[in-house]
Amino acid sequence: MKQLGNIWILAVKDLKRFIADRMALGFAILFPFLFVILFNFMLSGVGSEDKRLEINLATREPAGGISHDIIAALETRDESVLKPGAPKIIWLKDVQQARKDVEDRKLNGFVVFPENFTEAVLMGYGCDLEVVYNPSDPQATAALYGIAQSIASSIGTQQVVNNTVIGLLVEQELQKPGATGDLAQSIRNILSGQASAPPQTQMVSFTTDKIGEVEAENPSNYVIPGYLVMFVFLTAALSSGMMVRERQNRTLERMLTTSASRGAVIGGIFAGTAIKGLVQIAIFWTVGILAFKIDLGIAPAAVILISILMILMSSAFGVMLATLVKTEKSASSIGVLASLILAPLGGCWWPLFVTPRWMQFIARITPHAWANIGFNKLMVFGADFGAVVPEMLMLTAFAIAFGAVALLKFRTEAE
Amino acid sequence: MAELFLVADDLHKSFNDHKAVNGVTFTIARNEIFGLLGPNGAGKTTTIRMLSTVLDPDAGEVKISGFSTREHPNEARALIGVCPQELALYEDLSAFDNLMFFGRLVGMNSREAKAQTMSNLAMMGLETRAKDKVSKFSGGMKRRVNLGIALMGQPKLLFLDEPTVGIDPQSRNKIFETIQGLRQKGMTVLYTTHYMEEADRLCDRIAIMDGGKIVAMDTSRALKANIGDPDKTTLEDVFLKLTGRSLRD
Repeated sequence: MKQLGNIWILAVKDLKRFIADRMALGFAILFPFLFVILFNFMLSGVGSEDKRLEINLATREPAGGISHDIIAALETRDESVLKPGAPKIIWLKDVQQARKDVEDRKLNGFVVFPENFTEAVLMGYGCDLEVVYNPSDPQATAALYGIAQSIASSIGTQQVVNNTVIGLLVEQELQKPGATGDLAQSIRNILSGQASAPPQTQMVSFTTDKIGEVEAENPSNYVIPGYLVMFVFLTAALSSGMMVRERQNRTLERMLTTSASRGAVIGGIFAGTAIKGLVQIAIFWTVGILAFKIDLGIAPAAVILISILMILMSSAFGVMLATLVKTEKSASSIGVLASLILAPLGGCWWPLFVTPRWMQFIARITPHAWANIGFNKLMVFGADFGAVVPEMLMLTAFAIAFGAVALLKFRTEAE
Repeated sequence: MAELFLVADDLHKSFNDHKAVNGVTFTIARNEIFGLLGPNGAGKTTTIRMLSTVLDPDAGEVKISGFSTREHPNEARALIGVCPQELALYEDLSAFDNLMFFGRLVGMNSREAKAQTMSNLAMMGLETRAKDKVSKFSGGMKRRVNLGIALMGQPKLLFLDEPTVGIDPQSRNKIFETIQGLRQKGMTVLYTTHYMEEADRLCDRIAIMDGGKIVAMDTSRALKANIGDPDKTTLEDVFLKLTGRSLRD
């Protein structure tokens, strides 16, 4: 209990020193927000691009066939007038080239009208629409199936309606004796009625159900956690310089002549660094929520827990660094260098999910990456608490590893 | 015979192959000011670090008021105050905060620590600068803060390792007066210095160390008498005769 009190006294002393040093305070608290504002602006487009679905159509029929009219009616001539979510229809004129493009994976796929399409429709014996696709893109394949079915269904329905109407008329007029002239007139009326009806500009149409708004991702949801990770780590790493100074001017040794045990001195140094990190995350999350409208997701407790684990890991690294170096200058140099290498590698400067797979793989050697992946899962992809347990465990493992080295190598006397 | 407050018995300490302290034995009586003199590298600071529980001796034993520093370090620590030759303080904190911090660490509650902080700062002539950062202080003022910290908790035994190095005469005089005042209040002091006249003026007994060993130990007058007329011989003469004239690192 006594030693816990000593740890607290040591930690409060470090917090006082942190607050007294306005330069350090500005560097640890204000400076990160300059980065956040800048990168928020720069990354505001990332994740907001809703790539329009492209559907390719082609026909083997010679010019003049119905399929030409259908494709011409469907083809998108002015993309700017398309509604959000509506697909862009492209007419591929060269079927052979289109097939080759699919094989070369330059094209996801296309729907082809057969050579006898017009004849099959008019004679009513039916035909098959051919769907050529690349199986590696299931979304595009599904869309192609959808449009093929839609065309087939629309053509089939139209054929049934026409046949039924004509059949009814013929049956009705034939019941009247000597009414062949009336039948001819009735058919004429139907045809003239069709002619006077407003022209149907699109024989096959799509309806799109828009479910929810497609919103751009708030870049603060990954910019703020990224810079939080970077600056908490950097502040802890730079604290190692202060610890080395304490060792050199023998304040650490002086503490050992008081009631403070060696364990309390180490604990106090660790706690002092961790408290600075807590101040940082409290400010970061508060300003992030109030000013940058960040969303902590469905498991804010997990966000807080990852933040705390990240602080513990960073603090352990700071103490470890202090035990491994001899001078204040080397502590500061290595601290800055380590921070500036690990931050971009670990996804602090840009979200890891926009980087290539190999970069995401390499990133996992850094504790930063585990923290950032956890934050991204929770705040960008809506994961729940259970989904970030691996990230929590990895941060804990890093903290234990750094802490173990710090404990083994800790010394109060300068060499 | 005066009560022995500190007993150092056959202390040994080596760093790698270097024997820093090699069989040091001495005692300090309660209320005595004991001087430990020696050239650089003689082993004075290592001896003080062992006496103040920071270093474990390789061999030998230290007892403070009967408490072995090896077996009862906490009881021994509760009796001592240490003023290292380095400015072991926080220059980015105020004098008040420095004294408060170490006061809390020696076990005082907040109210006690605050009262004693103000008292010690007044004793050091720093009460008007209590809230100023130590980084703004002169060298002499910093030395006084360093001593003020050592006095937190009202220790019974004070280790002063070259407390007056590099300071102006006024600050040095203030530190002298403080030490003499503390002795009048019953404090025991172990004092190391390179200034022979300081030791001559302050110390009841003096031990001269060289090469990790005590080469002479007695009152200043007795040490002088060993090499000549004590009224005409200086302590520096004794020191140079015993430790030689060759330069030390």
